[in-house]
Amino acid sequence: MCETCGCGLPDAAKREAREGADREHDHDHGHPHGDRGIRREEVLLYRNLMESNERTARANREHLLEHRVLAVNLMSGPGAGKTALLEALVQAAGGSLRIGAIEGDLATDRDAVRLRALGIPVHAVTTGSTCHLDAAMVHEALHALPLGELDLLFVENVGNLVCPGLYDLGCHLNGVLLSVTEGDDKVAKYPVAFRNAQFFCITKTDLLPHVAFDAERPRREARLLKGDLRLFACSAREPETVAPLLEYFREARRVLL
Amino acid sequence: MHEWSLATALVQAAEEEARRRGASRVLSVAVTAGFRTGVVPELLERAFEAAREGTLLAGATLEVEVVPLRLRCRTCGAEEEEMTFLLVCPRCGGPEVEVQSGDGLVLRSLELEIPEG
Repeated sequence: MCETCGCGLPDAAKREAREGADREHDHDHGHPHGDRGIRREEVLLYRNLMESNERTARANREHLLEHRVLAVNLMSGPGAGKTALLEALVQAAGGSLRIGAIEGDLATDRDAVRLRALGIPVHAVTTGSTCHLDAAMVHEALHALPLGELDLLFVENVGNLVCPGLYDLGCHLNGVLLSVTEGDDKVAKYPVAFRNAQFFCITKTDLLPHVAFDAERPRREARLLKGDLRLFACSAREPETVAPLLEYFREARRVLL
Repeated sequence: MHEWSLATALVQAAEEEARRRGASRVLSVAVTAGFRTGVVPELLERAFEAAREGTLLAGATLEVEVVPLRLRCRTCGAEEEEMTFLLVCPRCGGPEVEVQSGDGLVLRSLELEIPEG
C-alpha cells in the first residue's frame, strides 16, 4: 500500500530506489561459464510495454473516484491558452465547484503561480527534459493536493501536441485545445494528441476577425479521428463563452463519479 | 521525444523477463507497434541503442514491426485493418467503431542466452 495515500500502489520513489538496488545487486549472479554449456532460447512474451503507465493511470483514476474528484487532462501546443482557460473557468465557477490544478512544464512554475493567485490549490511538476506528463508524475502530484477538498482537478500537460496523447494520466476526461492563431490545418498533423481525447476546444475565438481560420476544418478533422468527440469554442477573455465547457464538466461529474 | 521513454521501458521489461529465466544476455528483441501509437521504428531503434548500454541487452538487436489498426464497426459490422489514425469505419464512415487490435506497444519476443547447469 502507498503509505501516504493508501492508493494500493507502492510509493513510486521507493519503488524506483528498490529497482535500482536490485539492478546493482543482480549484476553478477556468478554463473560459471567455461565448463558449463550455454543455450539460446527464444521466448514469446506479448508483454504490453505501456502496462506500467496504464496500471498507475488506473490507480490514479480509482483514487480520484474515491475522493469524488473529476480529473481533466488539458493538452495543446505551447501558447494555445491552457492556463488562461483555467483562469477563466475558475472565475466562471465562482466557487460553486472546488477546483485544483496540476501544472506540468519542463521548467519554471509560472503557470502554477498564476493559478495560485486565484486562491486554488496547485501543484507544479517540472519534468526537466521529458516532453509529456505520465501517470507516475500525476500519482506523485496527487499526494500533494487536498483531494478531499476538491470537486474538479485540471492537469495542464506540457505544451506539446506530439507526445502527451500516448500517456494515460488517469484522468477521466482528456481534451485538446487549438487556438485560432495556430492554423486550421493542425488537427490532421497531430493525430496522436487526439488518441484518447473526449473533447476538443478551439480557443482565442476573440481573435477570429484577425486571422484566416476556418473553424469547421479542425472540427471536421477532429471528428474523423474520434467520432464521439465533444466540440467547444471559447475565448478566455469572454467569460460567458466558457460556460458550455463548465457545464460539460459538471455533467461529467454527475455521470462518472 | 517519447521514443526515449519507450526504449527505457522496453529495456526494463526485457531485463526483468530475462532475469526471471536465468539468462545472462539478451541477443535480440522483437517489438510490435500499432500504427496509431505514432511510434517511428528508426527513432525507437536509435533510442534503444542508447538505452541498452550497461544492461543485459548490451549489443542486442531490435526489430520493430508496425501493425495496422483493426476496427470493427458497430453500425455496419465491417471489420477492417488499416494503417490509420482515424477512428471511423472505412466502409460506412460511421464513428461507432471498436478497436480490436493494433493500438499498443508490445514486447513480442526475446532471444536469450541461458547458461546451463
